[in-house]
Amino acid sequence: MDESVVSLANVWAVYEGERHATLNGVTMNVLQGEQVAVTGPNGAGKTTILEVINGLLPITSGSVRVLGDEVTRDSHRLRSRIAYVPQSLFFAPDTPFLVRDVVIAARFGRIGRWRLPASSDRQQVDIALEAVGMTFAARRPIGRLSGGQQRKVLLARAVAQEASLLLLDEPTANLDPTSKGEVADLVADIRTTLSATSIVVSHESGPLLSASDRSVALDGGTIASMSNKDLSLAGAI
Amino acid sequence: MFGLPWHIILPTLLGSLLVGAICSALGTFVVRMNLSSLGFAMSHAAFAGAALGLMISVVDPIWMAILFALVAAAVLGPMTDASRLHVDTIVGATFPLTMALGLIFIHKAPSSGIGSGALSLLWGSVLGVTMDQVVLLAAVAAFLVLVLFLFGKEFFALLLDRKLATASGVDARRAFYVLLFMVAIVVAVSLRVTGGLLIYALMVLPASAAFQWAYDIKKILLLAPALGILSSLAGFLLSLGADLPIGASIALSSAAIFFASILLSPKRRRIIAS
Repeated sequence: MDESVVSLANVWAVYEGERHATLNGVTMNVLQGEQVAVTGPNGAGKTTILEVINGLLPITSGSVRVLGDEVTRDSHRLRSRIAYVPQSLFFAPDTPFLVRDVVIAARFGRIGRWRLPASSDRQQVDIALEAVGMTFAARRPIGRLSGGQQRKVLLARAVAQEASLLLLDEPTANLDPTSKGEVADLVADIRTTLSATSIVVSHESGPLLSASDRSVALDGGTIASMSNKDLSLAGAI
Repeated sequence: MFGLPWHIILPTLLGSLLVGAICSALGTFVVRMNLSSLGFAMSHAAFAGAALGLMISVVDPIWMAILFALVAAAVLGPMTDASRLHVDTIVGATFPLTMALGLIFIHKAPSSGIGSGALSLLWGSVLGVTMDQVVLLAAVAAFLVLVLFLFGKEFFALLLDRKLATASGVDARRAFYVLLFMVAIVVAVSLRVTGGLLIYALMVLPASAAFQWAYDIKKILLLAPALGILSSLAGFLLSLGADLPIGASIALSSAAIFFASILLSPKRRRIIAS
Protein backbone atom coordinates (compact mmCIF):
# COMPACT_ATOMS: atom_id res chain seq x y z
CA MET A 1 0.00 0.00 0.00
CA ASP A 2 1.29 3.48 -0.90
CA GLU A 3 1.99 5.77 1.97
CA SER A 4 2.18 9.55 1.76
CA VAL A 5 5.41 11.03 3.03
CA VAL A 6 4.21 14.56 2.33
CA SER A 7 0.59 15.57 2.45
CA LEU A 8 -0.64 19.10 1.78
CA ALA A 9 -4.36 19.71 2.19
CA ASN A 10 -5.82 23.02 0.98
CA VAL A 11 -2.70 24.93 2.03
CA TRP A 12 -2.69 28.70 1.98
CA ALA A 13 0.47 30.62 2.80
CA VAL A 14 1.46 34.26 2.72
CA TYR A 15 4.78 35.93 3.46
CA GLU A 16 4.81 38.55 6.18
CA GLY A 17 4.14 41.97 4.76
CA GLU A 18 2.60 40.58 1.57
CA ARG A 19 -1.03 41.29 0.74
CA HIS A 20 -1.58 38.31 -1.51
CA ALA A 21 -1.14 34.64 -0.67
CA THR A 22 1.77 32.87 -2.34
CA LEU A 23 0.04 29.49 -2.08
CA ASN A 24 -3.68 29.43 -2.75
CA GLY A 25 -5.27 26.22 -1.55
CA VAL A 26 -2.68 23.72 -2.73
CA THR A 27 -3.43 20.05 -2.18
CA MET A 28 -0.92 17.37 -3.04
CA ASN A 29 0.59 14.15 -1.79
CA VAL A 30 4.05 12.71 -2.29
CA LEU A 31 4.46 8.99 -1.85
CA GLN A 32 7.26 7.06 -0.23
CA GLY A 33 10.31 6.82 -2.49
CA GLU A 34 9.00 9.15 -5.16
CA GLN A 35 10.83 12.01 -6.76
CA VAL A 36 8.44 14.79 -7.59
CA ALA A 37 9.48 17.79 -9.65
CA VAL A 38 7.82 21.11 -8.92
CA THR A 39 7.98 23.46 -11.87
CA GLY A 40 6.60 26.81 -12.85
CA PRO A 41 7.53 30.40 -13.65
CA ASN A 42 9.15 32.80 -11.18
CA GLY A 43 6.76 33.70 -8.40
CA ALA A 44 4.60 30.62 -8.94
CA GLY A 45 5.14 29.42 -5.36
CA LYS A 46 7.71 26.66 -5.96
CA THR A 47 10.08 27.68 -3.17
CA THR A 48 7.13 28.43 -0.90
CA ILE A 49 5.96 24.82 -1.17
CA LEU A 50 9.31 23.61 0.12
CA GLU A 51 9.26 26.18 2.91
CA VAL A 52 5.84 25.14 4.16
CA ILE A 53 6.78 21.46 3.95
CA ASN A 54 9.66 21.94 6.38
CA GLY A 55 7.84 24.55 8.43
CA LEU A 56 10.11 27.49 7.64
CA LEU A 57 7.03 29.41 6.53
CA PRO A 58 3.91 29.04 8.69
CA ILE A 59 0.74 28.36 6.74
CA THR A 60 -2.33 30.54 7.16
CA SER A 61 -4.79 27.69 6.69
CA GLY A 62 -4.94 24.07 5.65
CA SER A 63 -2.75 21.23 6.81
CA VAL A 64 0.79 20.03 6.14
CA ARG A 65 1.80 16.57 7.27
CA VAL A 66 5.29 15.19 6.74
CA LEU A 67 6.48 11.71 7.68
CA GLY A 68 3.24 11.27 9.61
CA ASP A 69 3.51 14.42 11.72
CA GLU A 70 1.79 17.78 11.49
CA VAL A 71 4.36 20.46 10.59
CA THR A 72 4.63 23.53 12.79
CA ARG A 73 7.28 26.17 13.34
CA ASP A 74 8.53 24.13 16.30
CA SER A 75 8.85 20.81 14.46
CA HIS A 76 12.59 20.68 15.13
CA ARG A 77 12.75 16.91 15.55
CA LEU A 78 10.85 16.39 12.32
CA ARG A 79 13.09 18.82 10.44
CA SER A 80 16.15 16.85 11.52
CA ARG A 81 14.85 14.12 9.15
CA ILE A 82 14.38 16.53 6.25
CA ALA A 83 17.34 17.69 4.17
CA TYR A 84 16.86 21.09 2.63
CA VAL A 85 19.08 22.61 -0.03
CA PRO A 86 17.93 26.21 -0.38
CA GLN A 87 17.90 28.14 -3.61
CA SER A 88 21.00 30.12 -4.53
CA LEU A 89 22.87 29.51 -1.28
CA PHE A 90 26.49 30.15 -2.09
CA PHE A 91 29.11 30.78 0.56
CA ALA A 92 31.21 33.95 0.22
CA PRO A 93 34.97 33.49 -0.23
CA ASP A 94 35.72 34.61 3.33
CA THR A 95 33.14 32.33 4.99
CA PRO A 96 35.00 31.07 8.08
CA PHE A 97 33.89 27.45 7.92
CA LEU A 98 35.72 24.35 6.77
CA VAL A 99 33.84 21.90 4.56
CA ARG A 100 33.69 19.17 7.21
CA ASP A 101 32.23 21.66 9.71
CA VAL A 102 29.54 22.68 7.22
CA VAL A 103 28.61 19.02 6.86
CA ILE A 104 28.67 18.05 10.53
CA ALA A 105 26.39 21.00 11.34
CA ALA A 106 23.67 19.16 9.40
CA ARG A 107 23.66 16.49 12.13
CA PHE A 108 23.15 18.87 15.04
CA GLY A 109 19.38 18.60 14.85
CA ARG A 110 19.60 14.80 14.99
CA ILE A 111 22.04 14.83 17.88
CA GLY A 112 19.58 16.82 19.99
CA ARG A 113 20.01 19.26 22.82
CA TRP A 114 22.76 19.15 25.44
CA ARG A 115 24.78 16.55 23.53
CA LEU A 116 28.10 16.92 21.75
CA PRO A 117 28.91 15.31 18.39
CA ALA A 118 30.38 11.85 18.87
CA SER A 119 32.96 9.95 16.80
CA SER A 120 30.06 8.27 14.99
CA ASP A 121 28.91 11.70 13.83
CA ARG A 122 32.36 12.47 12.46
CA GLN A 123 32.40 9.09 10.71
CA GLN A 124 29.08 9.94 9.09
CA VAL A 125 30.62 13.19 7.83
CA ASP A 126 33.45 11.20 6.22
CA ILE A 127 30.93 8.86 4.60
CA ALA A 128 28.89 11.80 3.32
CA LEU A 129 31.87 13.60 1.81
CA GLU A 130 33.02 10.39 0.17
CA ALA A 131 29.53 9.84 -1.25
CA VAL A 132 29.69 13.15 -3.09
CA GLY A 133 33.37 12.85 -4.00
CA MET A 134 34.47 15.75 -1.83
CA THR A 135 36.73 14.00 0.68
CA PHE A 136 39.73 15.87 -0.71
CA ALA A 137 38.14 19.19 0.34
CA ALA A 138 37.22 18.24 3.91
CA ARG A 139 39.66 20.69 5.48
CA ARG A 140 39.26 23.46 2.92
CA PRO A 141 37.27 26.63 3.56
CA ILE A 142 33.81 26.25 2.04
CA GLY A 143 33.97 29.68 0.43
CA ARG A 144 37.04 28.74 -1.59
CA LEU A 145 35.17 26.02 -3.49
CA SER A 146 33.45 26.47 -6.84
CA GLY A 147 29.68 26.78 -7.07
CA GLY A 148 29.34 23.17 -8.21
CA GLN A 149 31.54 21.92 -5.38
CA GLN A 150 29.53 23.91 -2.85
CA ARG A 151 26.36 22.28 -4.18
CA LYS A 152 27.96 18.88 -3.63
CA VAL A 153 28.83 19.82 -0.06
CA LEU A 154 25.21 20.81 0.54
CA LEU A 155 24.15 17.43 -0.82
CA ALA A 156 26.71 15.82 1.51
CA ARG A 157 24.80 17.47 4.35
CA ALA A 158 21.73 15.51 3.24
CA VAL A 159 23.71 12.26 3.43
CA ALA A 160 25.20 13.21 6.80
CA GLN A 161 21.74 14.04 8.06
CA GLU A 162 20.52 10.55 7.00
CA ALA A 163 17.42 12.31 5.78
CA SER A 164 14.18 10.59 4.88
CA LEU A 165 13.00 13.48 2.73
CA LEU A 166 15.07 15.68 0.39
CA LEU A 167 13.83 19.15 -0.48
CA LEU A 168 16.00 20.52 -3.26
CA ASP A 169 15.38 24.05 -4.44
CA GLU A 170 16.93 24.65 -7.87
CA PRO A 171 19.93 22.45 -7.01
CA THR A 172 21.48 22.85 -10.45
CA ALA A 173 20.81 26.56 -10.95
CA ASN A 174 23.80 28.65 -12.03
CA LEU A 175 25.95 25.57 -12.66
CA ASP A 176 27.72 24.69 -15.88
CA PRO A 177 26.35 21.72 -17.88
CA THR A 178 28.96 19.29 -16.50
CA SER A 179 28.21 20.24 -12.91
CA LYS A 180 24.46 20.00 -13.57
CA GLY A 181 24.89 16.41 -14.70
CA GLU A 182 27.11 15.55 -11.73
CA VAL A 183 24.65 17.03 -9.24
CA ALA A 184 21.74 15.19 -10.91
CA ASP A 185 23.65 11.90 -10.68
CA LEU A 186 24.48 12.55 -7.04
CA VAL A 187 20.85 13.25 -6.19
CA ALA A 188 19.90 9.91 -7.74
CA ASP A 189 22.65 8.12 -5.79
CA ILE A 190 21.68 9.79 -2.53
CA ARG A 191 18.01 8.92 -3.00
CA THR A 192 18.98 5.29 -3.48
CA THR A 193 21.42 5.24 -0.57
CA LEU A 194 18.99 6.83 1.87
CA SER A 195 15.83 5.29 0.37
CA ALA A 196 14.61 8.84 0.50
CA THR A 197 11.67 10.63 -1.02
CA SER A 198 12.54 13.84 -2.80
CA ILE A 199 10.90 16.99 -4.07
CA VAL A 200 12.91 18.96 -6.60
CA VAL A 201 12.08 22.51 -7.56
CA SER A 202 13.25 23.68 -10.95
CA HIS A 203 12.25 26.16 -13.59
CA GLU A 204 14.34 24.56 -16.31
CA SER A 205 14.34 21.16 -17.96
CA GLY A 206 17.29 18.86 -17.40
CA PRO A 207 18.40 15.53 -16.03
CA LEU A 208 16.85 16.14 -12.61
CA LEU A 209 13.41 16.72 -14.06
CA SER A 210 13.61 13.79 -16.44
CA ALA A 211 14.61 11.54 -13.52
CA SER A 212 11.51 12.54 -11.57
CA ASP A 213 8.60 10.14 -11.22
CA ARG A 214 6.11 12.90 -11.84
CA SER A 215 5.87 16.66 -11.95
CA VAL A 216 3.60 19.31 -10.57
CA ALA A 217 3.39 22.63 -12.37
CA LEU A 218 2.51 25.68 -10.30
CA ASP A 219 1.24 29.01 -11.51
CA GLY A 220 0.11 31.88 -9.34
CA GLY A 221 0.21 29.76 -6.20
CA THR A 222 -2.10 27.06 -7.51
CA ILE A 223 -1.48 23.74 -9.21
CA ALA A 224 -1.84 24.41 -12.93
CA SER A 225 -1.13 20.92 -14.15
CA MET A 226 0.30 17.60 -13.11
CA SER A 227 1.85 14.60 -14.71
CA ASN A 228 -0.55 11.79 -15.53
CA LYS A 229 0.69 9.14 -13.13
CA ASP A 230 -1.02 7.39 -10.24
CA LEU A 231 -1.13 10.00 -7.56
CA SER A 232 -3.57 11.31 -5.09
CA LEU A 233 -3.18 14.84 -6.20
CA ALA A 234 -5.70 17.60 -6.50
CA GLY A 235 -5.09 21.20 -7.39
CA ALA A 236 -7.12 24.23 -6.59
CA ILE A 237 -7.55 25.23 -10.19
CA MET B 1 49.59 56.75 37.40
CA PHE B 2 51.92 53.74 37.49
CA GLY B 3 52.63 54.78 41.09
CA LEU B 4 49.15 53.81 42.21
CA PRO B 5 49.05 51.04 44.84
CA TRP B 6 48.30 47.53 43.64
CA HIS B 7 45.10 47.17 45.61
CA ILE B 8 43.70 49.94 43.40
CA ILE B 9 45.26 48.82 40.13
CA LEU B 10 44.65 45.09 40.43
CA PRO B 11 40.82 45.11 40.30
CA THR B 12 40.90 47.31 37.19
CA LEU B 13 43.54 45.12 35.54
CA LEU B 14 41.60 41.94 36.26
CA GLY B 15 38.33 43.60 35.27
CA SER B 16 39.81 44.83 32.00
CA LEU B 17 41.14 41.41 31.10
CA LEU B 18 37.83 39.73 31.89
CA VAL B 19 35.88 42.31 29.93
CA GLY B 20 38.27 41.89 27.00
CA ALA B 21 37.74 38.15 27.01
CA ILE B 22 33.95 38.01 27.34
CA CYS B 23 33.15 40.93 25.03
CA SER B 24 35.40 39.60 22.29
CA ALA B 25 34.17 36.03 22.65
CA LEU B 26 30.59 37.18 22.13
CA GLY B 27 31.78 39.66 19.56
CA THR B 28 32.57 36.75 17.24
CA PHE B 29 28.84 36.01 17.07
CA VAL B 30 27.88 39.68 16.90
CA VAL B 31 30.19 40.33 13.95
CA ARG B 32 29.50 37.15 12.01
CA MET B 33 25.73 37.45 12.42
CA ASN B 34 25.66 41.18 11.64
CA LEU B 35 24.29 42.03 15.07
CA SER B 36 26.66 44.97 15.62
CA SER B 37 23.86 47.49 15.54
CA LEU B 38 21.88 45.52 18.11
CA GLY B 39 24.92 45.35 20.38
CA PHE B 40 25.35 49.09 19.93
CA ALA B 41 21.74 49.72 20.93
CA MET B 42 21.99 47.41 23.95
CA SER B 43 25.18 49.09 25.19
CA HIS B 44 23.43 52.45 25.23
CA ALA B 45 20.38 50.98 26.91
CA ALA B 46 22.71 49.59 29.58
CA PHE B 47 24.23 53.05 29.97
CA ALA B 48 20.78 54.60 30.47
CA GLY B 49 19.94 51.90 33.02
CA ALA B 50 23.14 52.45 34.98
CA ALA B 51 22.51 56.20 34.98
CA LEU B 52 19.03 55.60 36.35
CA GLY B 53 20.57 53.38 39.03
CA LEU B 54 22.85 56.25 40.00
CA MET B 55 19.94 58.65 40.12
CA ILE B 56 17.70 56.56 42.36
CA SER B 57 20.65 55.29 44.43
CA VAL B 58 18.70 52.29 45.69
CA VAL B 59 20.56 49.45 44.01
CA ASP B 60 23.97 49.11 42.42
CA PRO B 61 23.74 50.78 38.99
CA ILE B 62 25.04 47.62 37.37
CA TRP B 63 21.77 45.80 38.12
CA MET B 64 19.77 48.54 36.46
CA ALA B 65 22.17 48.38 33.52
CA ILE B 66 21.54 44.63 33.21
CA LEU B 67 17.77 45.18 33.46
CA PHE B 68 17.74 47.87 30.76
CA ALA B 69 19.98 45.85 28.43
CA LEU B 70 17.80 42.76 28.86
CA VAL B 71 14.67 44.75 28.14
CA ALA B 72 16.36 46.19 25.06
CA ALA B 73 17.23 42.65 23.91
CA ALA B 74 13.68 41.47 24.55
CA VAL B 75 12.16 44.38 22.63
CA LEU B 76 14.64 44.90 19.81
CA GLY B 77 15.39 41.22 19.15
CA PRO B 78 11.94 40.26 17.87
CA MET B 79 11.73 43.46 15.81
CA THR B 80 14.87 42.69 13.85
CA ASP B 81 14.29 38.95 13.97
CA ALA B 82 11.06 39.23 12.03
CA SER B 83 12.50 41.96 9.80
CA ARG B 84 9.69 44.24 10.84
CA LEU B 85 12.14 47.11 11.15
CA HIS B 86 15.47 47.68 9.49
CA VAL B 87 18.25 47.46 12.02
CA ASP B 88 19.51 50.95 11.16
CA THR B 89 16.06 52.32 11.91
CA ILE B 90 16.13 50.65 15.30
CA VAL B 91 19.54 52.02 16.17
CA GLY B 92 18.60 55.44 14.83
CA ALA B 93 15.61 55.49 17.16
CA THR B 94 17.18 53.93 20.25
CA PHE B 95 20.51 55.77 20.25
CA PRO B 96 19.15 59.29 20.87
CA LEU B 97 16.46 57.95 23.21
CA THR B 98 18.82 55.97 25.45
CA MET B 99 21.55 58.60 25.38
CA ALA B 100 19.05 61.32 26.24
CA LEU B 101 17.64 59.24 29.09
CA GLY B 102 21.12 58.42 30.33
CA LEU B 103 22.26 62.03 30.31
CA ILE B 104 19.07 63.21 32.03
CA PHE B 105 19.46 60.55 34.72
CA ILE B 106 23.10 61.55 35.24
CA HIS B 107 22.11 65.20 35.41
CA LYS B 108 19.58 64.36 38.11
CA ALA B 109 21.91 62.02 40.00
CA PRO B 110 23.01 63.25 43.45
CA SER B 111 26.71 63.02 42.48
CA SER B 112 26.40 64.53 39.03
CA GLY B 113 29.08 66.78 37.61
CA ILE B 114 32.08 66.58 35.39
CA GLY B 115 34.63 64.21 36.83
CA SER B 116 32.12 62.47 39.07
CA GLY B 117 31.74 58.71 39.22
CA ALA B 118 28.57 59.07 37.20
CA LEU B 119 30.44 60.16 34.13
CA SER B 120 32.72 57.13 34.37
CA LEU B 121 29.69 55.27 33.02
CA LEU B 122 30.29 57.09 29.77
CA TRP B 123 33.98 56.41 29.25
CA GLY B 124 35.00 54.01 32.01
CA SER B 125 37.32 54.59 34.92
CA VAL B 126 40.66 53.15 35.85
CA LEU B 127 39.73 53.66 39.48
CA GLY B 128 36.10 52.72 39.20
CA VAL B 129 36.43 48.95 39.38
CA THR B 130 36.13 47.16 42.71
CA MET B 131 36.91 43.56 43.60
CA ASP B 132 33.17 42.94 43.95
CA GLN B 133 32.74 43.94 40.32
CA VAL B 134 35.64 41.69 39.34
CA VAL B 135 33.90 38.80 41.08
CA LEU B 136 30.71 39.64 39.17
CA LEU B 137 32.63 39.76 35.88
CA ALA B 138 34.26 36.40 36.68
CA ALA B 139 30.85 34.92 37.45
CA VAL B 140 29.47 36.21 34.15
CA ALA B 141 32.53 34.84 32.34
CA ALA B 142 31.94 31.42 33.92
CA PHE B 143 28.25 31.60 33.00
CA LEU B 144 29.17 32.51 29.43
CA VAL B 145 31.47 29.51 29.18
CA LEU B 146 28.64 27.30 30.47
CA VAL B 147 26.18 28.75 27.94
CA LEU B 148 28.67 28.35 25.10
CA PHE B 149 29.14 24.73 26.15
CA LEU B 150 25.42 23.98 26.46
CA PHE B 151 24.44 25.75 23.23
CA GLY B 152 27.69 25.17 21.36
CA LYS B 153 26.16 23.18 18.51
CA GLU B 154 23.27 25.55 18.09
CA PHE B 155 25.52 28.62 18.10
CA PHE B 156 27.87 26.93 15.66
CA ALA B 157 25.00 26.21 13.27
CA LEU B 158 23.76 29.80 13.66
CA LEU B 159 27.18 31.12 12.75
CA LEU B 160 27.14 29.08 9.55
CA ASP B 161 23.67 30.03 8.33
CA ARG B 162 20.52 30.58 10.33
CA LYS B 163 18.16 29.27 7.67
CA LEU B 164 20.21 26.10 7.18
CA ALA B 165 20.33 25.63 10.94
CA THR B 166 16.56 25.90 11.29
CA ALA B 167 15.95 23.69 8.28
CA SER B 168 18.12 20.90 9.69
CA GLY B 169 16.26 20.74 13.01
CA VAL B 170 18.22 23.16 15.18
CA ASP B 171 16.11 25.42 17.37
CA ALA B 172 17.86 28.45 15.91
CA ARG B 173 15.32 30.93 17.23
CA ARG B 174 15.89 29.89 20.83
CA ALA B 175 19.66 29.94 20.36
CA PHE B 176 19.42 33.41 18.81
CA TYR B 177 17.59 34.79 21.84
CA VAL B 178 19.94 33.11 24.30
CA LEU B 179 22.74 34.83 22.40
CA LEU B 180 21.03 38.22 22.50
CA PHE B 181 20.43 37.99 26.25
CA MET B 182 24.06 37.00 26.81
CA VAL B 183 25.17 40.05 24.82
CA ALA B 184 22.90 42.21 26.98
CA ILE B 185 24.33 40.83 30.22
CA VAL B 186 27.94 41.07 29.08
CA VAL B 187 27.51 44.63 27.81
CA ALA B 188 25.92 45.70 31.10
CA VAL B 189 28.52 44.19 33.43
CA SER B 190 31.36 45.55 31.29
CA LEU B 191 30.10 49.11 31.54
CA ARG B 192 32.21 50.12 34.54
CA VAL B 193 35.47 49.31 32.80
CA THR B 194 35.06 50.63 29.29
CA GLY B 195 32.09 52.94 29.64
CA GLY B 196 28.84 52.95 27.70
CA LEU B 197 30.22 54.80 24.71
CA LEU B 198 33.11 52.47 23.97
CA ILE B 199 32.03 48.99 25.06
CA TYR B 200 30.91 48.53 21.49
CA ALA B 201 34.53 48.84 20.30
CA LEU B 202 35.65 45.93 22.46
CA MET B 203 32.79 43.80 21.22
CA VAL B 204 33.41 44.41 17.53
CA LEU B 205 37.08 45.21 16.92
CA PRO B 206 38.96 42.19 18.38
CA ALA B 207 36.44 39.80 16.82
CA SER B 208 36.72 41.58 13.47
CA ALA B 209 40.51 41.36 13.78
CA ALA B 210 40.28 37.62 14.50
CA PHE B 211 38.27 37.10 11.31
CA GLN B 212 41.25 38.46 9.35
CA TRP B 213 43.50 35.63 10.47
CA ALA B 214 41.66 32.37 9.85
CA TYR B 215 39.07 30.58 7.75
CA ASP B 216 38.22 28.17 10.56
CA ILE B 217 35.53 29.47 12.90
CA LYS B 218 36.83 27.28 15.74
CA LYS B 219 40.19 29.07 15.61
CA ILE B 220 38.45 32.43 15.38
CA LEU B 221 36.39 31.64 18.48
CA LEU B 222 39.65 31.13 20.39
CA LEU B 223 41.59 33.97 18.77
CA ALA B 224 38.95 36.67 19.34
CA PRO B 225 39.03 36.53 23.16
CA ALA B 226 42.82 36.33 23.03
CA LEU B 227 42.92 39.56 21.00
CA GLY B 228 40.33 41.05 23.34
CA ILE B 229 42.55 40.32 26.33
CA LEU B 230 45.54 41.78 24.47
CA SER B 231 43.52 44.92 23.62
CA SER B 232 42.47 45.32 27.24
CA LEU B 233 45.98 44.83 28.57
CA ALA B 234 47.46 47.30 26.09
CA GLY B 235 44.65 49.78 26.81
CA PHE B 236 45.12 49.38 30.56
CA LEU B 237 48.85 50.11 30.30
CA LEU B 238 48.22 53.06 27.99
CA SER B 239 45.65 54.43 30.40
CA LEU B 240 48.02 54.16 33.36
CA GLY B 241 51.07 55.41 31.50
CA ALA B 242 49.48 58.38 29.74
CA ASP B 243 46.78 59.12 32.32
CA LEU B 244 43.98 58.58 29.80
CA PRO B 245 40.44 57.28 30.29
CA ILE B 246 40.65 53.51 30.27
CA GLY B 247 37.66 52.99 27.97
CA ALA B 248 39.18 55.22 25.30
CA SER B 249 42.58 53.59 25.74
CA ILE B 250 41.12 50.11 25.27
CA ALA B 251 39.17 51.29 22.22
CA LEU B 252 42.38 52.75 20.73
CA SER B 253 44.38 49.58 21.30
CA SER B 254 41.52 47.47 19.87
CA ALA B 255 41.46 49.67 16.80
CA ALA B 256 45.25 49.41 16.42
CA ILE B 257 45.06 45.60 16.56
CA PHE B 258 42.19 45.61 14.08
CA PHE B 259 43.99 47.77 11.52
CA ALA B 260 47.22 45.81 11.96
CA SER B 261 45.26 42.60 11.36
CA ILE B 262 43.81 44.00 8.15
CA LEU B 263 47.24 45.01 6.91
CA LEU B 264 48.91 41.74 7.84
CA SER B 265 46.02 39.40 7.13
CA PRO B 266 46.98 36.29 5.15
CA LYS B 267 43.53 36.49 3.54
CA ARG B 268 44.36 39.92 2.16
CA ARG B 269 47.71 38.70 0.86
CA ARG B 270 45.96 35.81 -0.87
CA ILE B 271 43.44 38.12 -2.51
CA ILE B 272 46.21 40.44 -3.73
CA ALA B 273 48.20 37.46 -5.03
CA SER B 274 45.21 36.13 -6.93
